[in-house]
Formats: sequence, structure tokens, C-alpha cells
Amino acid sequence: MSPQVAGQIELLGQVLISGILLGGLYALIGLGMSLIMGVMKIINLAHGELMMVAMYITYGMFTLWKVDPYVSLLVVCPAMFLLGIAIQKFLITPVMNADSVLPQNQVLLTVGIGLVLSNLALLLFTANYRSVPVSYASKTIYWDVKAGGQTISLSFSYPFLVAFGIAVFLGAALFLFLGMTDTGRMIRATAQDKRAASLLGINTKRITYITFGLGAALVGAAGALLDPVYYLYPQIGGPFTSKAFVITVLGGLGNIPGAVLGGLVLGLAESLGSVYVSLGYKDAFGFIIFVLVLIFLPKGLLGKGRA
Amino acid sequence: MTIRRMFVAIAVAAAATFSATPLLAQAKSFTVGVPLPLTGAEAKFGEMEKQAYDMAVEEINAKGGIKGVKLALDIQDSGGKPETATAIVEKFIGTNKYPIVVGEYSSQCSYAVAGVAEKYKVPYLVVTGAADKITQEGWKYVYRLNPPASLYNLGVFGFFENVAKPKTIAILYENTDFGNSTSKAMKEYCDGHGVSVVLSEGYQAGGVDFKPILQKVKSLRPDIVYMVSYLMDASLLMRQSKELDLNAQAFIGGGAGHTLPEFLQNAADASELCMSATLWTPQAKYPGAKEFFDNFKKKFGKEPDYHGVEAYAATYVLADVLKRAKTATPEDLRAALASTDLTTAFGPVKFVSWGKFTNQNKMETLVLQVIKGKYETVWPPEAATAKYVYPVPRWRDRK
Amino acid sequence: MTKSLAAALLSVTALALLPLFVSNTYVLHMLVMVLLWVLLGQSWNLLGGYTGQVSYGHAAFFGVGAYTTAIMVKSGLSPAMAWWGLLLGGILAALVGSVLGWICFRLRGPYFSLSILALSEVLRLIAVNWKDLTNGAEGILYIPAFNSKAAYYWIILALAAVSFLTIRAVMRSKFGFYFLAIREDQDCAESLGINTTKYKLYSLLISAFFTGVAGSFYMNYMGFIDPGIVFSLPDISIMMILCTMLGGAATMEGPAVGAVLYILMSEAFRVFLKSGHLLFFGILIIVIIIFFPQGIVGTLRERWAGRRLRAASPGISKEVA
Repeated sequence: MSPQVAGQIELLGQVLISGILLGGLYALIGLGMSLIMGVMKIINLAHGELMMVAMYITYGMFTLWKVDPYVSLLVVCPAMFLLGIAIQKFLITPVMNADSVLPQNQVLLTVGIGLVLSNLALLLFTANYRSVPVSYASKTIYWDVKAGGQTISLSFSYPFLVAFGIAVFLGAALFLFLGMTDTGRMIRATAQDKRAASLLGINTKRITYITFGLGAALVGAAGALLDPVYYLYPQIGGPFTSKAFVITVLGGLGNIPGAVLGGLVLGLAESLGSVYVSLGYKDAFGFIIFVLVLIFLPKGLLGKGRA
Repeated sequence: MTIRRMFVAIAVAAAATFSATPLLAQAKSFTVGVPLPLTGAEAKFGEMEKQAYDMAVEEINAKGGIKGVKLALDIQDSGGKPETATAIVEKFIGTNKYPIVVGEYSSQCSYAVAGVAEKYKVPYLVVTGAADKITQEGWKYVYRLNPPASLYNLGVFGFFENVAKPKTIAILYENTDFGNSTSKAMKEYCDGHGVSVVLSEGYQAGGVDFKPILQKVKSLRPDIVYMVSYLMDASLLMRQSKELDLNAQAFIGGGAGHTLPEFLQNAADASELCMSATLWTPQAKYPGAKEFFDNFKKKFGKEPDYHGVEAYAATYVLADVLKRAKTATPEDLRAALASTDLTTAFGPVKFVSWGKFTNQNKMETLVLQVIKGKYETVWPPEAATAKYVYPVPRWRDRK
Repeated sequence: MTKSLAAALLSVTALALLPLFVSNTYVLHMLVMVLLWVLLGQSWNLLGGYTGQVSYGHAAFFGVGAYTTAIMVKSGLSPAMAWWGLLLGGILAALVGSVLGWICFRLRGPYFSLSILALSEVLRLIAVNWKDLTNGAEGILYIPAFNSKAAYYWIILALAAVSFLTIRAVMRSKFGFYFLAIREDQDCAESLGINTTKYKLYSLLISAFFTGVAGSFYMNYMGFIDPGIVFSLPDISIMMILCTMLGGAATMEGPAVGAVLYILMSEAFRVFLKSGHLLFFGILIIVIIIFFPQGIVGTLRERWAGRRLRAASPGISKEVA
């Protein structure tokens, strides 16, 4: 095999690895929104800002008490859960009940919430970029494959692998939770038909609180996992919110395996597109797939979400 | 009925609020307007420049100000948005009636502000905005202290010609005004000097995973990897290059992110032996350079880079202009600015015109390299504080 | 002549005379920005408030309008001639609108909103990457044709007034009824024989046209644009929605109130608080959405209508109104 061919194989391999690992993290970001959109049919445009809050909590715990981000998950997730419930209970529910010309008030409310969260962070932490320099931030696992007389070396980023693993684990846990527990079934019932669920005796108000809390906890986990490999500043949220709803739609609203698949598809689209088509348009690929799926596969890639 | 009243009430309230804006009393101090990004993505640089401006003003006033009158700077936050910057400058010129404007950080904002200043025939001293075209429009009122982006790399070009003599280069740049101008200049140089550009791609800032494109660069095996990035992308690019075991004879940055002290912290050992074009180092042999660095570090607890000294020097240029000008009108200030011939901590300041450039300060640029976790000047030899390391060893071979 | 038309004409006349008394360029600049946002809010309102299609991607039309004029100048046209860009920008924006509409109108509600958002972002990326056409991230700059602020003020005032009258006329015509029907219940409207796709498209075309005109004006006025400014999701698309909804969607005055609130508040905060204005703006949004769910104009109208009803018949209990 010539070095050029080996180089191309190595390139493809590395691109696929990047796409999948990043996709796992994206999936975790999208899971929360899929749940929220599936149950409450509202678009939460403050999703990225919730992740930002979790990232600052993780950063704070690391900087002050040297708590490893993976350990701080145990604190971040419950904290975000409570924050999510608070936002849903005190801000979103009152608006959902009000009658208005357009049902879009809740979405705009989340825009306001996002602005408040990111600007509070700006006030408290300034615009400085922060990072969580854990010792294993750049730790890499190398895998050298010998083929056709050439060596193809692939590298796997350790923190990304851990993030991928945890994302998949949480996705599976969520899936089981929704499928097998009473609360989970109540959530699915509320997602299917709120009025019917309420008639059947489900406290739909409480369910919406729990769902928003869960969604916040999931995106919070994603934030904690993102801290070691990325950096942190108050306006970090925006692009991740966009990615979240792309993933949500790809997977079909409320469809957990779909959201995981959606995350992987987005990660791969970005990786492959940036190398084989154009780096400058990297962010566009996700959007284009998003629109195509919306039009041709309204129930999501797996055909099982709600349209 | 009530809606109409509301309409009129709002209109009247608005007019009243703004008509009542008082003009700043200029008797006790001479005030100059300075737009800066104190919030937003470039807030870090804005903050450093503000601190440098404040420090310079303190020093100047301690020495008697301008013929006994104190200098004051009206620093306003543009958030890094050209629209806000132009609104601020419109206010400076229209309402506050400042006869001269200084500042702004990014190329886009500086460019937008320059357009406004030129329109109103008020002199504007560009301090950091690097895009070439800011001083290529033939404007009469726009003067630039810092070199244009295309000249940022002069030091690097010298290094190429005398030491590296590379055959291939890969260029990665941030898709912004600064990134585009600087990388364009590098590309033009390479095309004209027999260096093959195997890749030249712009990326959207803020990416999480650069590995796909870095792997593509790796597959092309360039001699030099050249990047134009702000702080965080620079850190991620170097860290991920190390993780991918992407090797080259040298990694060279085009300024900005690669010269900040935080780059050393964020990229950790991946920053080692990284080079960058730079406009200034604290070891530069200009009067006041070292003092500025030491005083800034003592006062603010962090090290300034060339953006800080640019702001510092600009204030001194401003003070010099105010001292020499016949009157404090825009025309006389412009004339005084045009005849500036001052040596500052940043370097010599004299505005000349050549080629398509007008009113541009011409300066040498240097090359930095991170050696044992510290920035050292490695080129040109006359300014060097340490010997360059070229080619750099492979990542896996380093300790 | 109805009360609201009289009110509007009075305000326009008063505003038109303003530059004769105010020569402070900064004040005029603020007024120009307010009127620009009135124009933007009204345009969005036609599609969003009246036709019920909430678009999160109107920056696409603003950007197309702005770049039309910008490219005209870049290709050598003088800035004075570039005023034709107002018309051309509006037309091109409407054309882009028809394409985006054709793609996105198959989708309903939030899906429509998100898909048009996605396509607007794609357009922004095209503007960044197609450097030969748009100069990419470097943007396009030229010295505007007129030196006097008053000239720009009158132009934008005229544009805002024209769009107000046009939209008012449209809403009073057959089109207006169809738009409202589509907003209230699209399936019902369809079953009544209204070609909903066609009428949604008409609404979008008018909305996009005026947004494009606004974009073109912006280029002529500011003298500098780049993709991050004119195709901006948070600064243009979302702000258009916020202005209109805070003021009151589906009301004629709502966008104007929202525009005044947005511009004056942002500037007041910026000047007096130096920073943190976005924080208060965010809080304000939350407060207004919770306490004024129909926007300021809408909610106030409802309350006064309720009060009048109760005043007319004292026997009616509070629950009715």
C-alpha cells in the first residue's frame, strides 16, 4: 500500500472516530431537549444556557475543591434537576396557561431566560474564557494498525471516550426509566396526549416539572463532560441549542434511541462534511440534514417519533 | 384615543431624554472618546487595553498632563459589534463633540468606526484593528498605529527565507476579518515565493473538535502548519494536534491567540515550541517597553501582550498630538497626528504612505517561540533572546 | 377615517417635522434605528402575528436585502445609485422568501419556525464562505451617499409609513381574512376552500419584501455590513420576534411600541449602566411575557375593553370581562 493510500485510510478512520465520539456528546445534549419537546411541545431556547450553568458549577467545584468533573456529575445533575423544576414551575407554567394570540410565548420566555442566565454568568464570571485543566485533558489512546506494509495510527481522546460512554449509559438509563418505571410511563402518557393522561388521573403538572428537570439534568451532565475538552464562557450556549433541536428532530420528538442516533448522525455529518466537502460550511451540514429530515421524514430517522 | 396618547407620550419622552444630554465640561480635562469591546467575545482584549489606557493616562497626568490640563478617556463598550461601535462614535462626534477618536479592537469595528470618522472629518487613530483595507481606502482622517495584517508576518517571512526554507505549508484560519486578511497575506507570500500551499481553509470560531481537519492536514504532510486564531481555538488546535500526533517542522501562529499568556496555560505542553508572529515583546529594545511590562504586571497581576502596549503607546501618541496641535479642532489635531514622529514603548511611530497604504505606521515584526514554557523572541537575530528551535521534534519524541 | 388611522397619520406628521427642531445627530440616529425596527417589526408581524406562521429566520431576508445593495456598490455602482437597491433588495428578498416558503410551508407550527431558522443560518454561512461575492467575513464598507442624518430619517419614516399603510390595507382586504383564518385553524381554512399554501406564500412575500427593503436601507445608512451582523440569528431574527410580541402581535401598533421599547431601552441601559443591559432586557422579556401575554398593546386593549364592558353594565360580574 502506498503511503498516500494509507494516509487516506487513516484520515477516514480518524474522521469517523471523531464523528462518533463527538456525536455521543451531542446526543446527550439533544436527549434533554427531545424529552422536553416530546412531552411539553415547547422549544426550549435556553437549553444551551442550562448547559452553561452546569459547566460553571463543574468549573467552580474543580477550581475551589479540586473535584474531578466526572465526580461532580453527582452534584451537577441533581442541581440542574432542581433548577429545571424551578424554571418550569415558576416561569413556564404560568405562561403556558395564559391565553394568547400565538402559542409562541413560552418559546420567547425561554429566550428571556437564556438571556438572563448568560448575562448573570457574564456579571459573575466576566467574559474570560475558563478551562478545567484536568490532568487527563489531552490523554490519548493510540491504536496503530499495520496493513499492507504501512502503519495506520488512530488516536482516541480519553475524555471523549469517557464522555461517549457516559452519554450512552445515560441514554440507556433514560430509555429504561421511561419504559419500565411508573413515572416513566406517566411521562410517555403525558407526551402522547396530555388531556387523556390528566383524565386518567396523572398529575400532568408534576410530570411537566419532572420532565423539564430531567431535561436540564441531562444537558447538565453533557456540560460537565464537555468541560475537560472544551472551554467555558458565558455565551457558550447558543450554537449548542441549535444542535440540540437538530438532534431532536432527527430522532423524532421524545424518541430516546432516535436522539442518540440523531447525535451520531450530526457528529458524523460535521466531521465528514468538514473534511470532504468544506470546512467553512461545517455547521451548515447539520442544518441541511435537519431540514431534509423535517420534510421527508417527519417522524424522525427511526420513523417512530411524533410528527 | 389612549393608544394615540401613548404614541405621542413615548415620542416626547424619547426626544426629551436625548435632547437633555449635557455636553461634557472640557474645562478641567481634555476628554477623548475610546470605543472598546468590554463585553462580548473579545472582552478579554478590551479589558487588557482598557487597563493599559488607564495606566498610560495616570502616568501622563502624573507628569503634568497636557500643558497642565489633565487627559481623560471616555471609554465606552461596543460589545465588539460594529453597529454599536458606530453608534458610540456618532455620539462622540455629534453629541460629545470630541475632536479626535482613538481605539477599538477588532478589524471589523475599527473599519466601521474609520468610515464614520472619515465621513465627519474627525481624525481617528486605529490601535489594534489589523485588516489591511482600513488604511487602503485613501482616507485622510484615519491613521493607524499598528502594522496591517499583511505585514504581521514580515518576521516570519524573514525566518522562512533565512532558516526554514519550507516547501509546503498548510494554512488554517478563523473565518473573520482578521483571520481572512492575515492568512491571505501568508498565502500570497507563499504563492510568490515557491512555497506550495497544500491546504488553506477557514473555520468558524468556537469549534469543539478540530481533529477531522487536523487529520486532513496530517495526511498532506506539510512542512509548516500556519494558524490564525484567537485564544481558545489556538489552544484547542495545538492540543488536538498533539493528540493526533500531527507533526510538522514548525507550528506557527499569525498573532492574536498564539501570543497571549493564557495560551501557555490552556494549551499546556502542546504550546511548547509553538512559534508566532508578533508585533512586540517585553524584551524589545524600545524605551519604556520593559517598564510597561513590569508595571502592568505589578498593577494588574497579569502579563500584557502586544495589544496592551499598543493601547499604552496610542495614549502617548495622543498626548503628544494634543501637546503639539495648534488648537483642539479636528483639522489641527489631524495635522499634528500626521506629523507625529515619536518613539514609544511599542516602537517608533511615524505615519507614512506607500503602495496602497496611507497614514500607516511601518514597523518591524518579530517571531516568538515558546521555549520551556516561556515566550522568547527568536527572530530576527538582532532582537532574539534565545536561539530558535527548528525543526521541532515530533510529539511522541518529546519528554 | 378610523381612530387608529388618524392616530397614525398624526404621529407621522409630527415625526416628519421633528428634524426641523432636532439637529443632534445622535438623537436622529436613535430615531432612525427606532423607525427601522418599526419597519422590521411590522413586516414580521404580517407573517407571524396575522398569519400565524412564526418565522425565526427573517434575518435571511434582511441579509439578502442588505447584501443586494452592498454587492451593487462592490461591483462599481455609486452609493447614490445604490438606493435602487432598496427596490431590488426587497424583490430579491421576496424571491428568496418564495423558495424558503416553498420548502418550509409543508411544516406546521414550531417545525416551520425551526426549519426557517436552519435555512437562515445556512444563508449566513453561504455569505461567510462565498467570498468572491460577499467579501466573506471581511464585510463590505462604503461611505454612505448622504451626509445629513435628516435625509435618512425621512427615508426610513416614509418606508415605515408605506409598510404600515400597505399592511393595513392588506389586512382589511380579502387577503387579511384568509391570513387570520389560516392562523386560527389551518385545516378548517383549507376545508373551506382556501388554498392555504398560496396565501401563506403571499403573506411571506410581502413580509420578506419589506424586510429586504429594511436590510437595504440598513446598508445604505450604516455603510458597513458583514454576515455576522445582517444574517444574525440573535440580533435580527429573534429581536424582530421579541419587538413584535412584546409590543403585541396581531396589532397594528404593537411592533411600533416594541421597537421604541427595544431601541430606547437598549441605549438607555448601555449609556447609564455601561453593561448589563442585556440582563435587564432578559428580565423585562420574562416580566412582560408573564404579565402582558398579548404584548403590551394587546393586553392593554383587552383590559380596557373589559373595563368598558364592566362600566357599561354594572350588573356583570368580574368573571365575564
